Amino acid sequence: MKTNLAVIGQGAVTPAGVGLAALLHGNPTETMTPLVSRSDRSWPVFRVNLKDPAFERWQKEPRLRRASPISFFLVEAAEQALAGLDASQRAETGLVIAFSTGCLAYSRRFFEAIATQGQKAASPALFPETVFNSPLSHVAATLRLEGAAYALVGDETAWIAALKTAWLWLEQERVKQVLVLGAEEFDSASLDAYQNAGWLRDCNPESTFIPSEGAAGLLVRKAGSDDHAIISQMDDGFIYRSKSQALAAGRRCLQQFDSNLPCFKSAQHNWLGDIERTLAQKHISSSTSTEQIYLGEGSTASAAWNTLRALASFDGDNIRLLVPIWGMTHQIGALEMGHPSSDKKLQV
Amino acid sequence: MKRPVVITGLGAVTPLGENVADSWDALIAGKNAEGPLELFDTTGCRCHRAATASLPSLPGMSPKALSRLSRVSRLAIPAAREALTMARLLDPMDKSLLPILPLSVSTTAGGMAFGEAFLRDILAHKRSRLLGPVARYLPQQQILDMQEALGFEGPSVIIANACASGANAIGHAAEMVSSGMADCVLTGGFEALTELVFVGFDCLQATSIDRCRPFDLKRSGLLLGEGAAFMVLETPEHAQRRGVQPLCRLSGYGHSTDYFHLTQPQPAGQALVAVMHQATASANIQPQDIGYINAHGTATPINDGAEAQAYRTFLGESLDRVRISSTKAAIGHTLGAAGSIEGLFSIQALLTGKLPPQLNLQTPIPEIASVLVPENGCSREMNHTMSVNLGFGGSNAALLFSRYEN
Repeated sequence: MKTNLAVIGQGAVTPAGVGLAALLHGNPTETMTPLVSRSDRSWPVFRVNLKDPAFERWQKEPRLRRASPISFFLVEAAEQALAGLDASQRAETGLVIAFSTGCLAYSRRFFEAIATQGQKAASPALFPETVFNSPLSHVAATLRLEGAAYALVGDETAWIAALKTAWLWLEQERVKQVLVLGAEEFDSASLDAYQNAGWLRDCNPESTFIPSEGAAGLLVRKAGSDDHAIISQMDDGFIYRSKSQALAAGRRCLQQFDSNLPCFKSAQHNWLGDIERTLAQKHISSSTSTEQIYLGEGSTASAAWNTLRALASFDGDNIRLLVPIWGMTHQIGALEMGHPSSDKKLQV
Repeated sequence: MKRPVVITGLGAVTPLGENVADSWDALIAGKNAEGPLELFDTTGCRCHRAATASLPSLPGMSPKALSRLSRVSRLAIPAAREALTMARLLDPMDKSLLPILPLSVSTTAGGMAFGEAFLRDILAHKRSRLLGPVARYLPQQQILDMQEALGFEGPSVIIANACASGANAIGHAAEMVSSGMADCVLTGGFEALTELVFVGFDCLQATSIDRCRPFDLKRSGLLLGEGAAFMVLETPEHAQRRGVQPLCRLSGYGHSTDYFHLTQPQPAGQALVAVMHQATASANIQPQDIGYINAHGTATPINDGAEAQAYRTFLGESLDRVRISSTKAAIGHTLGAAGSIEGLFSIQALLTGKLPPQLNLQTPIPEIASVLVPENGCSREMNHTMSVNLGFGGSNAALLFSRYEN
């Protein structure tokens, strides 16, 4: 699908720190975390430091009093991306947030109380925060975004669905600009899930998969002649259930794009890494550097981080780039991004 | 809307029936599906009742394949199949004639029962055979189940805007068709009763231990339900190429967010008024042109009060020209499926002229007492019907359906 989305703001919260500099250059620290099912087995995890001074400004927000970490990640990343927008512009801003597991920490705490102490132990303070769109509501209320607002769910490719939704709203003239975010929070229950899926190191010696958390976002609008970073094509919906189907899905997806585009690699630490290597080799003439500092696997947050990192990788030689979004549980999609340089104007 | 959007197929599994016709006939006959909840233990809850759906058979699916499906997929697949069948989009093997068929769907909990089973197992320190449940609880797995069962692929969007999600999914699908992003979209919502969600509403004391009485002065809370509903939305030209006569048009959609409180609407229902105006403006009609509104009407004290205020504001002096009912008294609150099922009922009202009765009324709230559909139902000719939904987080959405004239 051809689009013409200009990126006019960016924000990020990562285990390496808060802000774009941390996203591009920060080094996350591993925390050893045990499984829920076996306290004697631990794995490295990348966690966001909620004591970072950047979060202090949100501690007294009434809406965030009971909110789970994911809401803090989101509101901080959102505010970075919105910097410079006044109240009237914010009132014309739509909001789309992509989640994979959403408020997992509170959902686990809420259900653990029921499962271990009985239904009378259910917490009325926790339950509303377990709903997928609670963080969406907190971000909209805290930052006074008065446009349309959707919470979307899926694997990493929900990030593409969110960008496509933004494009649709801009085409329909529902809003002037759209803030698109991806965010996840870690809970040790997900570590048990990854271990059962065979994604962790002891199950798969080749794997360097490290669970992670955080958020990132783009503020986008319809591109004008002065805009620089542009998302010019988005395609998704290439579904799979098995690894062989994933290879075929990835191939079909990348065939939608110019085969001469350099490819931004992002799946080298997860089970789709082989497929990415195969397809990048067979279908893409060259690749950009994969020497990005690994921030772990944060599903929709990772998809957003990778998009921001790809934007930052544009230089005089690379003015167009293919950014595959490797969904780990459903489908594969990709974005084409461009950056007009002074001597080579991007065709959009 | 830039391109007209028509509806050519409907499908539903509700607590009142395993398809659209059975559900609609039971609804119009004034039946309700409230009964004891037996899907999981509710010993520690205040409320022990819900509206449970019967699972339709899935011919052609092996016992092994069936055993892997979540309860919610077993609701969603037959509803989607019925919609595609009505739209003449399935081949004789029940596979989609369109290999690429975009999906716009909604849910709030997906296959949460599988997630609950996984959590129970890891809390009990079980170490093996845990992958099946956890791999199939996420909402995208229900999408894969539908895509595999009905033989199509393509882009999908899963909207999780709490109880307004179903209306959002349909409205989003309409915007995809209207804008040219797609010519044909399968859209709808699905939800299955799960312990986490049931106990959640119970601990908030949002569920009623009395009957569910929307818009009654003695209302005391909601009845939870489950089900799925799907629609095929497309351009008239796309339908005509198959020789399919549209059922109606989706003529308007409005959505907005109310910041007032995470779980309560602003008392005057301002956001709801705004989305109803958005919907009528996009259809280029006036509020008084609407014949019937399928209300959100959860029967919680706060929701129904705000909603009634919103209808008074929106309709003004023409309030008496419209009729309103909440079908949640009959099928329960189906959360992420509510907007889709209730949208489908609004279409049925438009097509048949019959209005779903407002069940369990004893003392109607005065703001809209005169326009609530009586318990024995009523009929009227209409050109437009509306379905509205509100949800946690302040989500508000309105869908407007209009007669199709070639």
